[in-house]
Amino acid sequence: MDETYDVIVMGTGLKECILSGMLSVSGKKVLHVDRNPYYGGESASLTPIDQVFEHFKKSVPENKYGRGREWNVDLIPKFLMANGQLVKLLIHTGVTRYLEFKSVDGSYVYKGGKIYKVPADEKEALATSLMGLFEKRRFKNFLQHVQDYNVDDPKTYKGVEPNMVAKQVYEKYSLDANTQDFTGHALALFRNDEYMAKPCVDLIKRCRLYSDSLARYGKSPYLYPLYGLGELPQGFARLSAIYGGTYMLDKPVDEIVMEDGHVVGVKSQGETAKCGIVVCDPTYAPDRCKKVGQVVRAICILNHPIPNTKDGQSVQIIIPQNQVSRKDDIYVCMVSAAHNVCAKGYYLAIVATTVETSDPEAELQPGLELLGAIEEKFVSVVDLLEPIDDGTENKIFISMSYDATTHFETTCDDVLSLFKRITGEDFDFSKVQHTDTETVE
Amino acid sequence: MATGVPSYKVILHGEYGVGKSSIFRRFMNNTFTTATGKKSTIGLDQSTRTYTIDSQDVKLTLWDTGGMERMSFIGSSYYRGAHAALLCYSVNNRDSFTILSQYILDIVMNAEGAKIFLCGNMSDQVDSMSENDLRNAVTDSDLEQFTSQCEDVLSGVYRVSCKDGTGLQDMFEDMARFLHRNSMSKMTLRRDLVQPGSTPEREEANSEKRRCC
Ligand SMILES: Nc1nc2c(ncn2[C@@H]2O[C@H](COP(=O)(O)OP(=O)(O)OP(=O)(O)O)[C@@H](O)[C@H]2O)c(=O)[nH]1
Ligand SMILES: [Mg+2]
Repeated sequence: MDETYDVIVMGTGLKECILSGMLSVSGKKVLHVDRNPYYGGESASLTPIDQVFEHFKKSVPENKYGRGREWNVDLIPKFLMANGQLVKLLIHTGVTRYLEFKSVDGSYVYKGGKIYKVPADEKEALATSLMGLFEKRRFKNFLQHVQDYNVDDPKTYKGVEPNMVAKQVYEKYSLDANTQDFTGHALALFRNDEYMAKPCVDLIKRCRLYSDSLARYGKSPYLYPLYGLGELPQGFARLSAIYGGTYMLDKPVDEIVMEDGHVVGVKSQGETAKCGIVVCDPTYAPDRCKKVGQVVRAICILNHPIPNTKDGQSVQIIIPQNQVSRKDDIYVCMVSAAHNVCAKGYYLAIVATTVETSDPEAELQPGLELLGAIEEKFVSVVDLLEPIDDGTENKIFISMSYDATTHFETTCDDVLSLFKRITGEDFDFSKVQHTDTETVE
Repeated sequence: MATGVPSYKVILHGEYGVGKSSIFRRFMNNTFTTATGKKSTIGLDQSTRTYTIDSQDVKLTLWDTGGMERMSFIGSSYYRGAHAALLCYSVNNRDSFTILSQYILDIVMNAEGAKIFLCGNMSDQVDSMSENDLRNAVTDSDLEQFTSQCEDVLSGVYRVSCKDGTGLQDMFEDMARFLHRNSMSKMTLRRDLVQPGSTPEREEANSEKRRCC
């Protein structure tokens, strides 16, 4: 440990592992430590199932739930957009080679107490009872325009100036309130309605991401890795190691050592490793973070698929805030043995939202009600932490806690912003070069 | 996967310094270097060779550890989908041999159904050993005892030298043959996996239609 590094990364959550990999690839000498004996930190997948019960301080049931090792339970479940930033990062860094993915069966949206499949093709769109016939036509026109829209080419504006707010665009296409809810929350994946008063380019970009992602595999725009999300940080950790990064797990961190207002090292078990830069998750520097909210999550074990999803083996359900008189959406993610995250015959559903009241668990009720009978429920309320400064002065770069969204777009925004603050430049994907050789005898 | 050529993932495993990266290098481009420690491992990821077994092309992909075993845990994802592990020790280092039962446990826990091959490296060193060195060496009876204990667990036992190249190419080909014949006797194919970033050809053609609404 008594050595000098360019960067010490603390915590092996997904964000920290991506950064560790990117920094190693960029030629930095990286030491990566974690106080836990496993990879993943807050975003780990717990295995075997006993660990889940222990993590939530419940007694472990005997001879239930099949073989414990078949379970990989995400603490923070999310799906990858097939055309999203994380997939781009995975491809450009070559980390895809360490993972296997399957697409998610279906995406659903909640309207008036029922769930509807988000149409995945023209046939489903014609058949859906999500909207009436005339509304469908208007919606189709809207989507067509979104597809053709190009901010750099005013000819494609057709009356939708980039500085128009989202609400005005909906009005231009005469989309009703339900369709607006559906578009903004189930397609554009906004967490609340603040976007309505903001320039429409973001809405257009997000709708495009959704349809481009959907176009890739057809069933839904989402992918999910076999064996759970815990595979992702490990993949990036391997990338970092292959580019020379050093890994130490089960390593308690005593102190971030400062001098003249900036970091000079990290102390652990009496030894100090020197460094000019620290990257960490909020739990390693709690006094340098502020609380900006809370997320409530309920991990539920079911012994049946979610009702009304045509027995989908992996699904997402979005409950737009308006539909249940809230400010923030409620998200439901379900995965199963099809993605090797639990024993056959079981299903893992997670309901999550941003906390708005003093009774967070009750806020999940509309989501929990959709699940049918629940075998086991693990509820957690965690603080959303953010660094109090951007790290450029003291050279301590802290990631933000994972929010309630069920995809990785905000995660990647944070990672790319951190990388730029740390190095002063955008990540150069062309620096990645693997020794992935193929020889034919 | 796309080409339909059967492909087998083999992970290297064993204590640091026993020559895993050296074996990897012999596999990748048949070279040898005397560099030690982290330096000798940096940049090595995975490498694939094609062998012709029973007049069919099969691919063998060898994975190096990335040096992650040095001070921490290698992580479960390294083991995923491995068809086999090449468990390495150094013939002149008993400690690297006696610890193998622990590694076998790791492999059995993390890579269910993976075949295990045993590889004693540095065979060139045995001749030049002093009395003292020899006491620390792995003897034939050590090996016999171990292999008879793990008889049903081990699919092959090899002795190689990365320095002079003895036994390596034969070992790789033997593993490819064993794994391929073994899988031919119980073929299982996975067709529902997707490759992020690539669109299946069949769906590319009518992707316009697949857009929502
Ligand atoms: N004499 C001799 N030396 C060898 C042989 N194989 C490897 N070495 C040397 O042993 C040292 C360690 O080899 P590596 O291949 O780096 O070992 P490793 O298992 O990859 O080590 P880590 O990546 O550090 O865990 C190097 O200096 C090699 O040159 C061999 O067959 N004979
Ligand atoms: Mg090595």
